[in-house]
Amino acid sequence: MFSHALIVARKEIRDHLRDTRSLVSSAFYALMGPLVVGMVSIAVHGAVHGEKSSAVLLSMASVFALVATFVAGMNVAMDAIAGERERRSLLPLLMNPLLRRDVVLGKWLAISLFAVAGVVINLAGFAIVVGLPFHLLIAVTLALIPLVLFASAVELLISTWSRNIKEAHTYLSLVIFLPMVIGMFFGILSAHGFDVALATRGRSAIADRSADQRRAIFAGFNTGAEHDHHSLRGARLAGQRKTFASR
Amino acid sequence: MIQAHNLQKRFGAVQAVRDLSFSAPDGKITGLLGSNGAGKTTTLRMICGVLQPDHGSVRIDKPVGALLDHIGLYPRLTARENLAYFGELRGIPRAQLSQRIDQVLSELGMEHIADRRTGGFSQGECMKTALARAILHSPQNLLLDEPGNGLDVPSVRALRGLLRQMRDSGMCIVLSSHILEEIRILCDHVAIVSAGRVVAQGSPEDLCRRTETESLEDAFIKLTQENLECSATL
Repeated sequence: MFSHALIVARKEIRDHLRDTRSLVSSAFYALMGPLVVGMVSIAVHGAVHGEKSSAVLLSMASVFALVATFVAGMNVAMDAIAGERERRSLLPLLMNPLLRRDVVLGKWLAISLFAVAGVVINLAGFAIVVGLPFHLLIAVTLALIPLVLFASAVELLISTWSRNIKEAHTYLSLVIFLPMVIGMFFGILSAHGFDVALATRGRSAIADRSADQRRAIFAGFNTGAEHDHHSLRGARLAGQRKTFASR
Repeated sequence: MIQAHNLQKRFGAVQAVRDLSFSAPDGKITGLLGSNGAGKTTTLRMICGVLQPDHGSVRIDKPVGALLDHIGLYPRLTARENLAYFGELRGIPRAQLSQRIDQVLSELGMEHIADRRTGGFSQGECMKTALARAILHSPQNLLLDEPGNGLDVPSVRALRGLLRQMRDSGMCIVLSSHILEEIRILCDHVAIVSAGRVVAQGSPEDLCRRTETESLEDAFIKLTQENLECSATL
């Protein structure tokens, strides 16, 4: 039923794996976060990682990770529809007997896969720089997948609206502000902030669950936050939530 | 067999096609001849179904392949991979696909460029790849928009040979062109398009006889002039 979508996705992936420039620039974006956080960490603490990494650095890391979910698939998204239109290959593609749904699904899948790859590279970088434990790396990656799917869908939509790559690039570079805003918001609201939110919202089961879920995403970065006991609890929570996120 | 009845299409203020009808029989090459902006490309697009006509209808009895002015290849894929992608989307079984691709590639004499990425292709090579893509699923009807564009002399000859061969096998071929010579050499049936209408159709000799002119060029000028004067008075 979705065989056409898979054909489209496979072609997009093969096509983009050959686009060395785009791969290099995406990898550069993905590794920029760990690089910056690592350098700031050295500047502040004189050491790259360990117990001393402050909450500010970790919230910085969370912003970079969120940005990575949006940036990593962006080149693919730009090329997926706006690029095809500019290259005049969209019309021949749509002349084939296939549903437009399959074209969109295939391209969405391809963009998401590249975005996940970018996130993994990004988090692996943080794992080295900040000392994120391996199980947290997996938990955070899994927890970011819904966001990756959302980001890819938004990018694909913008690519469809745009008439050419240049236009798509203009709009997509504005979209990067979205994760920045989210990232800063959640970065400030670290594990501590969620506790406050929980207290004010009452202990309803839903609130508990959604807050815990978000904590699983972001508390991963708070392993070394200012209050040691706090961060440890955050890490333990995130560890427990790993099973939840992978379900 | 392709039949178009009273096609109309408007883009904003421009009435690209106004009341255009023609029929293209099987086993013949039908040429749409017209000056720039006469509505040839719009007509072909409506026939192959990528544009919805405002009015009128198209009847096609068998699968159609089309090479429109959108040649668009994927520059990072080789010619063979470009063809394979479209073949898979067309639903050609994988076992037959590579065989069919080899067949088409040899028909168009492009074995030597088959495994090169299309990003480095010349215009003619792109054209050939796009043509290969259009005939990959062995359609019974073929639409070609300005097929000679960018091809070198041997390729044009090869293309003509190929089109004649396809015609003799019973295919219905419709091609648009503004080049008289091409139409005269290749087409059995000509429809002259002017300002979104078919002003005359028939064999090239037929058209000359009817307009009492020596050459297809004179016939073309005479027929389109009449139509333009008509439109101007309306």
